[in-house]
Amino acid sequence: MKYISQFFDIVLRELNIIVRKNRIYGFCMVVFPVLLVVFFTTMLDDGLPQDLPIGVVDHDNSATSRSLIRNLDAMQNSRVVYRFASVTEARNAMQEGKVFAYLYIPEGTAAKLMAGRQPDISYYYTMTCMTAGSMASKDLKTISMLGSAAVGQATLSAKGATKEQIRTALQAVTIDAHMIANPQGSYNYSLTTVFVPGILMLFMALLSAYALGMEMKFDSGKEWLARAGNNILVAILGKYIVHALVFLLVIFSYQYYIFNVLHFPHLGGVWSIVRLTLLQVAASIGFGIFAFGLMPSLRMSMSISSLWMVLGISMCGSAFPVAGMDPPLQAMSWLFPLRHYWMLYQATVLNGFPVIDVWFHLVALVAFTLLPWFVLRKVKIAMLNYVYIP
Amino acid sequence: MSIFRKLKEHITDVLYVWRQEMKQVIRDEGVLMFLVIVPLGYPLLYSWIYNNETLHETPVVVVDQSHSALSRQFINDCDATPDVDVKYYAANLDEARALVSRQLAKGIYLIPSDFATCINRGEQATVSVYCDMSLMLAYKAVYQTAMVEAGRLSAGLKIKKAGNYTDHENSITAQPLIAHDVAMFNPSGGYGSCVLPAVLMLLLQQALALGIGMSAGTARERNRNGQLIPDDDPHYRGAYRVVWGKALCYGMIGAVAAAYLSMAVPRMFSFPQLADGKTLLAMLLPYTMACIFFGMTVSCLVRYRENVMLLMVFVSIPLLFLTGVSWPQSSIPGAWQGVSWLFPSTFGVRAFIRVNSMGASVSQILPEIRILWIQAAAYLGMACIVYAYQKRLARKHVKTVTNSTDLIEPDNQ
Repeated sequence: MKYISQFFDIVLRELNIIVRKNRIYGFCMVVFPVLLVVFFTTMLDDGLPQDLPIGVVDHDNSATSRSLIRNLDAMQNSRVVYRFASVTEARNAMQEGKVFAYLYIPEGTAAKLMAGRQPDISYYYTMTCMTAGSMASKDLKTISMLGSAAVGQATLSAKGATKEQIRTALQAVTIDAHMIANPQGSYNYSLTTVFVPGILMLFMALLSAYALGMEMKFDSGKEWLARAGNNILVAILGKYIVHALVFLLVIFSYQYYIFNVLHFPHLGGVWSIVRLTLLQVAASIGFGIFAFGLMPSLRMSMSISSLWMVLGISMCGSAFPVAGMDPPLQAMSWLFPLRHYWMLYQATVLNGFPVIDVWFHLVALVAFTLLPWFVLRKVKIAMLNYVYIP
Repeated sequence: MSIFRKLKEHITDVLYVWRQEMKQVIRDEGVLMFLVIVPLGYPLLYSWIYNNETLHETPVVVVDQSHSALSRQFINDCDATPDVDVKYYAANLDEARALVSRQLAKGIYLIPSDFATCINRGEQATVSVYCDMSLMLAYKAVYQTAMVEAGRLSAGLKIKKAGNYTDHENSITAQPLIAHDVAMFNPSGGYGSCVLPAVLMLLLQQALALGIGMSAGTARERNRNGQLIPDDDPHYRGAYRVVWGKALCYGMIGAVAAAYLSMAVPRMFSFPQLADGKTLLAMLLPYTMACIFFGMTVSCLVRYRENVMLLMVFVSIPLLFLTGVSWPQSSIPGAWQGVSWLFPSTFGVRAFIRVNSMGASVSQILPEIRILWIQAAAYLGMACIVYAYQKRLARKHVKTVTNSTDLIEPDNQ
């Protein structure tokens, strides 16, 4: 009973700090996350980049070359915005950032094509922006294949082949692609769902370290512990249950927005999302407290948490896969909470696979939650004895 | 007072502030961490993460229900590519799905039982490809390999049926129009070569802003009245001198960091480096200046130095997006393009990528350089204004303190 009243006393104290005393909590817990969600969902709203600016160098000026260019312009991801007189001019435009790719059709292409003398066309694209480069190259590849196919089609239909026969002759083996859980290949689905939780986890860890550091900075730690009857466990639980609840509310609203309003794919169902969110919040707060326990100083613990969690965004392997990194880095990836979050997310929420197949990651997140256990004593000592030095 | 004495006094003050600021930077481990360790260590870590550039041998599971020579040829061809590794064979789709679920494979190739029959009958055959969409790079590897190999198989069948006499005729049958696929400026399509230049430049801005902000926070906390500018030191008389004095200090650090980030790091990890010195200088000079004055302006807006960290860390990933390196600039919504104009990193990154990875000349990045100079000037002006305001606050504070003679506690938490 004593513990419960102490616990609620700490909860009220923490609520008072968050709501009344320090506005930074309100910013980091509500304003920034909302901005973040708005930023990523509006930024990536198209899913795939549309109408990328592309240039053409058409030295042939034939009906065939013009039809190729028209087809390219009609593609969803590309738009022909420049017609250059020479390849040098086109390359300059690329270096100036005006176009992502250009198609070069030399003189005599159409004539050679008709005569069966195998003409060459070239397309150049910049891979300094990989999304744009690979999208543009995909469209250009399709266009050049269409150019090839047009000849065969004309010859075959002149010989009296049926549509079916022409199709088979041109492409005997076709690929029937099933893009599981993300049929449009939308970048919104794959980027928003890692960056928003990643930055939220960063904030949770940072604020956890910050909350302890501020107690020390303003020398209110003794009062905090005294209210909890000098029981560090009650003090920590009372303090962080408030953080956890606020963040859970924020994250559930974010998930309601992306899954129910924007209809992000989630084959795993509601329970997998709730389970993951609980683990996410608990592990991040645990990491923040642990960072403070390791180095009981406001600035060092915040620096460590932020540097580590920012690194986690690269180390989670959602953009560049962990399997492609050097072996020591593959091992290190286990030390980043976001890595486990993302593995659980893609397996259980996105794809709806059973959680037992990724159980190790679940255990890892539980371990992060329990990390503060090792530093409870140190946090208490820090609160009672350490003096804040600016 | 003669104009020369005034000038001399002015210069002395600037130099004094410079020295004081430098001392403070070296004494404060938090500031030192962001101004020295982060620019030195972080890029190395990032380079290491992305050093392997591309993904090879993505594991794939095959469900071969056709068991024919043609299906085996297709599987062998796929396995022989650098991108895909046929690691597992499964009896049916459920078994294959279980392998993907256990994170052992990233895609499934299903070859139906009528695969060879269809081809031999002269009908179109289909290979079903199931991709795990959690990794875009893996999806591209799995899907594109299947596409390319299906195309090659088709071309081979076409040649067989054509009944040509010469190799040249075969080549024309397979490909009446040759298309050369040329990836420029990052020919291997490496992830690191694409992202890293942007990360390096963004890091410069973030490290400077964090360092300057932390240092300003420390100055405030050390000052007995909680003011940014010491009110009792005659050398801190004018806002202009303070701003220039501090700028010289951070300029020193920024110059070294910029040189290291733009020249040493890409060389160490052999990322593309086509920049020539003069162009690099023309772009890094305004960029570093814009970053410093931007950092100084931001540092005045926050009361506690921890808050500057929360703010800068929060914006770092969105800023990377706004530069247009991971999401093309042409697809960024107009409103966000507008927001991106507020940050030096937007133009610094764009200019650096063009200079460093694409070998652009000064004339090709002129618009970016111009905007960077405008930003540098605008943030210099802003820094002077906010410092003058801080100065006035400090003076006012001294007055109230002397009037009421009570100590003002910093408001709790």
